[in-house]
Amino acid sequence: METRTNDSYVFTPSNAGEFTTRVLENVHLSKRYYLLRLARPANFVEPLAGQFVHVMVPSMDAGERFFLRRPFSIHDCTRDHIDLVIVEAGPGSQALRHTRAGDHVTFYGPLGQPYPVLPGKRVLGIGGGVGLAPLYFYGFRAPGGLGENYRLLYGARTREDLFLDHVPLERPGVVLSTDDGSRGFKGNVVQLAARELERESADAIFTCGPTIMMRAAQKLAEKHGIAHYASLENRMGCALGACRACVVPTTLGGPSPYRTVCHDGPVFDASVLVWDELPIP
Amino acid sequence: MSSISVKIGPITHKNPVFIASGICGYAEEYSPLVNLSRLGGVVTKTITMEPRAGNLPPRIHELPHGMLNSIGLENVGLVKYVAEKLPQLNQHRDIGVMVSVAAETEDEFVRLADAFAAEDGYDGLELNLSCPNVKGEALDQGRNPQLVERITRIVKSRLPKKSLWIKVTPNITDVGSVARAAEQGGADAIAAINTVIGIDFNLETGKPVFARGSAGYSGPAILPIALQKVWECAKAVSIPIVGIGGISNIDDARKFFLAGATAIQVGTALYADPGLPERIIDALEANPEWVTQRALTRAVVR
Repeated sequence: METRTNDSYVFTPSNAGEFTTRVLENVHLSKRYYLLRLARPANFVEPLAGQFVHVMVPSMDAGERFFLRRPFSIHDCTRDHIDLVIVEAGPGSQALRHTRAGDHVTFYGPLGQPYPVLPGKRVLGIGGGVGLAPLYFYGFRAPGGLGENYRLLYGARTREDLFLDHVPLERPGVVLSTDDGSRGFKGNVVQLAARELERESADAIFTCGPTIMMRAAQKLAEKHGIAHYASLENRMGCALGACRACVVPTTLGGPSPYRTVCHDGPVFDASVLVWDELPIP
Repeated sequence: MSSISVKIGPITHKNPVFIASGICGYAEEYSPLVNLSRLGGVVTKTITMEPRAGNLPPRIHELPHGMLNSIGLENVGLVKYVAEKLPQLNQHRDIGVMVSVAAETEDEFVRLADAFAAEDGYDGLELNLSCPNVKGEALDQGRNPQLVERITRIVKSRLPKKSLWIKVTPNITDVGSVARAAEQGGADAIAAINTVIGIDFNLETGKPVFARGSAGYSGPAILPIALQKVWECAKAVSIPIVGIGGISNIDDARKFFLAGATAIQVGTALYADPGLPERIIDALEANPEWVTQRALTRAVVR
């Protein structure tokens, strides 16, 4: 298992590759969510939690073509398969939902900076909506796994969007919330996180989800004086750091204050992000 | 040298397939996915005298038949390019390396040209006189034939041994007059076309998708526009034309040669299909006559 930390690890895409592989399963999770299980290609290197794959949406009929690939965070990766949890957000994610076992999908990866691995530190994962994937995956990659040093809070709108029949979230180390209280804590996941941090402090929080949620989590991190690593999303062109399409504003210097989500991220030290100007609200 | 080599100005390129400026960054970024050494060459992302931060995101927007971008010439600037990127590109001296540059004034073009006169490790410059995503200057230059001729002449006079390509805009009525001006100024080739100006609106906000409003449209939708501009240029000038715009398969590439292009550049298609340039090269190597096939006779000497 990987134990290197983000301090010494700067990702370069040199071990990423382009693959065409089979869909093993396309599982309906809820009205908006599905889980795409791909056969793991033999040369796909071991991904780290927070990394993503850049997926070509297959054309389902002659009239529909996609010129941009879609980046999806890795939800799980075993010897045999790669799981992606996808929310329907537009035509591309809708088209991918129609893929069936046996269909071929082309992607490259794994790409991007992962969450740091912090041995001996207590990390609180805070995920909302489609932000589950990298934080769930981190449960398999964190030192000691899910439990004492890595707790995961996950919030969704309703019980249906927790898709508990398909993703085993009711386990030690995980606390759930729903906006309507239909399962777990009633309220949003940042409210839950505030409560959890009062009960037991942490050395860092890791977030992934809607910008509004992560922005609130940053305020929480500032209040407690702890580190915050946030995984962002954006529309991407190349996913290799070349085209400068997927940038977000930061307080960092250099020729430009912008950094790419694909290559400098998707996981950023949240204290350098200009939270009020992120392109996806 | 294979049978599909092409001569543009002082340089013979081993094949006519390039990656367009802005798509592949400074080229090295794409080395995990593209076997760069197979290419005729790359045109690196436009650089300017000073670094540019680029436009406020969002910067990219997919549409049913193409893509709008509003990157805004984000780049590391001349000094860093020369110090860091050119040495990287030196690992790829088996392919053509064209450096895309833009400037706000003629004087700045002089300074850029002088800076490059002191460097090696590249084959020439592609002058971006046609970016729609920055305020005023670049596109206005490209719409003014007198200015195009003057800029071309002053850059060529400082870099006489380098290849000089002038990248033209389709956002003009008479592209032939701009191509002629570039030829008069001493250009070695016309690169046609840059993106087509477009705009899209967000129905939820009621505002344009991009902070700057208008943006550059690329992808399959612009193929016939690009072919027509190449066709016009081919009738206007006798220097080579490098065809760019909407190439997403081998057939598209062939059409540029028919329209009169000597070489081609693949752009937006690379995002979805990084293997495309190599497949086009394979097809051209198998059918070298495609490279010289023209729909009309040109005075050009290849």
